[in-house]
Amino acid sequence: MKKLSKLIRSRELPVFFALALVYFGTGFANPQFFTVTVVNDIFLGVAIVAVLAVAQTFVLVMRHIDLSVGSVIGFTAFMIGDLSSQGYPLIVVLSAALLIGAAVGAVNGYLVAYLRLPSLVVTLATMYVVRGIFNEVAKGQTIVESDVPEELNWLGLNRFFGVPYLFIIGIILMLVAGFVMYRVRAARDLYAIGSNAAAAELVGIPVNRRVFFAFLATGAISGLAGAVMLARFNSASTNSGLGLELVVIAACVVGGVTIAGGAGTVYGAVIGAILLQEILLAIGALGIPQFWQLAVNGILIIAAIGLDRYLSTRVKSTSIMGNK
Amino acid sequence: MANFSLPKIQLSWDKGVVLFLVLAIFIGSFSSEYFATASNLSFVIASIAEIAIIATAMTYLIIAGEIDLSVASMMSLSSASIGFAFREGLPFEIAILIGLAVGLAAGLFNGILVTFFGLPSLAVTIATLALYRGLCWVLLENKPVNQLPEFWISLGFRNIPNTFLPWSTIPLVILAAAAWVVLHHTKTGRWVFAIGINPEAAKFSGVPVNRVKLGLFAYSGLMSGVAGVIYTLRFASASPDGGVGYELSVIAAVLFGGVAIAGGVGTMWGVLAAVVSLGVMRSGLQLVGFSANALLIVSGGLLLISVILPKVTEFVRIRNSRASTPKIKQKNEEKKYE
Amino acid sequence: MRKKNMNKKVAKVLSVVAASVLALGLAGCAPAGDSGSSEGLKIAIMPKAINIGYFTAWNEGAQKACEELGATCDYIGPNEATGPAQVEFINQVIQQGYDVLVISAADQNAIVPSLQKAKEAGITIVTSDADVAAESKDSRVVSILPSAADRIGTAEVDWIAEAVGEKGSIAVLSASATAANQNVWIEAMGPYLTENYPNMSWVGGTVDKSTFYGDDDATKSTQQFNAILTQYPDVAGIISPTTVGVLAAAAEKKAKGANVKVTGLGLPSEMAPYIEDGTVEKVGLWNPIDLGYVAVYAAVAAKNGTFDGAVGSSFEAGGKTYAVVDGNIVFLGDPFTFTKDNIAEFKVIY
Repeated sequence: MKKLSKLIRSRELPVFFALALVYFGTGFANPQFFTVTVVNDIFLGVAIVAVLAVAQTFVLVMRHIDLSVGSVIGFTAFMIGDLSSQGYPLIVVLSAALLIGAAVGAVNGYLVAYLRLPSLVVTLATMYVVRGIFNEVAKGQTIVESDVPEELNWLGLNRFFGVPYLFIIGIILMLVAGFVMYRVRAARDLYAIGSNAAAAELVGIPVNRRVFFAFLATGAISGLAGAVMLARFNSASTNSGLGLELVVIAACVVGGVTIAGGAGTVYGAVIGAILLQEILLAIGALGIPQFWQLAVNGILIIAAIGLDRYLSTRVKSTSIMGNK
Repeated sequence: MANFSLPKIQLSWDKGVVLFLVLAIFIGSFSSEYFATASNLSFVIASIAEIAIIATAMTYLIIAGEIDLSVASMMSLSSASIGFAFREGLPFEIAILIGLAVGLAAGLFNGILVTFFGLPSLAVTIATLALYRGLCWVLLENKPVNQLPEFWISLGFRNIPNTFLPWSTIPLVILAAAAWVVLHHTKTGRWVFAIGINPEAAKFSGVPVNRVKLGLFAYSGLMSGVAGVIYTLRFASASPDGGVGYELSVIAAVLFGGVAIAGGVGTMWGVLAAVVSLGVMRSGLQLVGFSANALLIVSGGLLLISVILPKVTEFVRIRNSRASTPKIKQKNEEKKYE
Repeated sequence: MRKKNMNKKVAKVLSVVAASVLALGLAGCAPAGDSGSSEGLKIAIMPKAINIGYFTAWNEGAQKACEELGATCDYIGPNEATGPAQVEFINQVIQQGYDVLVISAADQNAIVPSLQKAKEAGITIVTSDADVAAESKDSRVVSILPSAADRIGTAEVDWIAEAVGEKGSIAVLSASATAANQNVWIEAMGPYLTENYPNMSWVGGTVDKSTFYGDDDATKSTQQFNAILTQYPDVAGIISPTTVGVLAAAAEKKAKGANVKVTGLGLPSEMAPYIEDGTVEKVGLWNPIDLGYVAVYAAVAAKNGTFDGAVGSSFEAGGKTYAVVDGNIVFLGDPFTFTKDNIAEFKVIY
């Protein structure tokens, strides 16, 4: 009973509710929406954002932000293809991607944790710098399917009992991260830091170390996510990942991970990502004219943010020990 | 003024930016013969006009602890409205007024979402960024508007006679001066700082926090509208995809100008110097042969330096002050700054 | 406290004054405008954006022409394909005293005022690959375009008709909604399909309602491809008149195992795997190398006074003669098509 009431009062439920609402609402208006292909499209389309949203949650709950993820994922997607086409084996190529992401994450983490610089500024700067380096390295080349490692190609094209492998990767990441965030002491500290960094420090939490490793993790995951991006599109260019960071942050916020920190889970982030992807497909399925689609998308995101805010403030008033 | 003396050199970032500006102009002039020409300087000023005008409003918002990521979309929406109105047959002057009104309305909408509905400004303005951009497409579909009236176009790309200043300098100077005066010399300006430092305390001191914030968002919208007018004239066209990404340039300039992202700190002259110096630096580097990619890296690097340097000087100052305090105090301080 | 502020203010005012004096003083030292010298001409080659592979090939052609003509060519451009970004670099071209500008217009309207300024500064301007708006054609001498706009659009309709057996409904996956080139090609497709293929139709009734915009972005193009399949499950063929779009469509078709036929304008080097494995039967494209090459010749001829871009005039490049038609445009010829038979040869060229 206790678990049920906790579920009802969770931040994630309203988003899930919205998810269902959009799905059935759209399907009601256009029965074509109910096909398996659509569900599959949503899963496949959301894989990249879902992975990045899980990573972004680590920094958002600490009341920080990481705007460099778009540049990182684009860069590593390209590098994986580039190195692979030069003959390096998959394990080397993936390690390189991980290292690049981790390096950027480490720089971000060091500047934010130890130099106490604002994460918005730092990650905005690293976003520019990484994109600039990426452009220089790429020199206008495009990665094409023949450059993509076979294993990634296979992952991108195949499914496990109907569910695309790429989506499964996202779900596994979400489950592992969710478990870690709940059970592992060091990860729970992230919430404390987001609620009140000074208090967290006073109770003995090594704030700097946590912040550093959170950014490192976000960077590393974003780096590896380049493999997911490459597997999904079988191509990469200097445009890859451009603007992705805003989509990821919107997904997290819609999913209950507030910018103010201290609340929200990776489950919510993934649900938020799925909701945004679903809205994108629903807009098309509802026959909304091309030139209205972006505006409608904006309105729906505002509604989602508003709904989440409304329901979370109600939740706050009814539970003292529960979620924020 | 009998006691006038040269001020002690304090390590303050605002002065740093002004110094940077002077340095940039200096270095630019010597590294490239093409830099300090009348036509190039005219171009630099024209190219930063929109960003500068929007930055004046963004400064207020960030000092007050908020942010507005939809400014580029509002600027484009105002431009699209002008184009739309003109294409529908309205006189261009009326179209301009409509553009300004649209900007103001969009800003008000942002403000209402933040103050009345209590939504976080970062998230909400990411959404309105999409919404307003979407409205640009609704208005113009895929047909940009060109063939604007000669008179206005020439205002857009000619200079004030006998000077190297483009016409857009006039609204720029007036709005920047007004913004500076209000921020640093009026009660409203002090309220903005108070809200940024501690909104709760400000509220209890009688500051109408919500009303002020609403006004700031509306101001941001209006300034985006003005920028939209200038943008339309400069490019002699209204297009639904104008100004994409400008919000980041504005925010980067404001942050580079010494405004703390946490709120409560900043100066208008720092921001204006930052906007101009970033434009100057871009031009200088371009003329020396930096590629577009290299410029991107430099922009990011500068932004980092703009926050690292003040921190470093702060650490240095603390180290110095520590040396002169008794031992007991020192031990506690050490723990704090680990 | 007040005195400190006053001193701060004075210091600030002094520095601003110093800066302005410096600026104004140096502005007075502006060097005289540099007119063409007797040695090689200084040419600026400006793509929509420098990081795009298609333009790297375009530049290759331009550089080859420059070598042959003894001119110096610099490849300059922004890293985002927008008008305002290009304007910055057009200014650089003006300031650095180039003689000639060969440019692919990222925005057919936004760069016009800057081109006017460049023209006033004595720079000869030729657009290549993408032109300015027809109303503004006076801002450049001539435009070198691949094929007559309608020829490109109608050719693509022919390719898709061939692929679908001349029956079924068709959709278009384009670039940005404001992309001038694509819009002109798509406009030509509409009536051509209705007149020549009575058993084929547009999914949305008219070509306008059947066009989806992928913004030359892999992610968006893929999403739009899927949107087409969701909204019109019976679609027989998709035309994508942009290299990013056709690549994304082919990749997604393969991923989904979808039944729809795909064709469009594709770079052979990028589309090779999909043509070789049969996902796509045929794509076409002109050679961007030629576009760059011919443009430089046209510009140099104009600069030297032997060619003025008037309708009916002509110039030579690489042993061929090119004539100017209405709108002060030069068309290079029909696009090449790439199929299994010749892809191996072309994929290493561009």
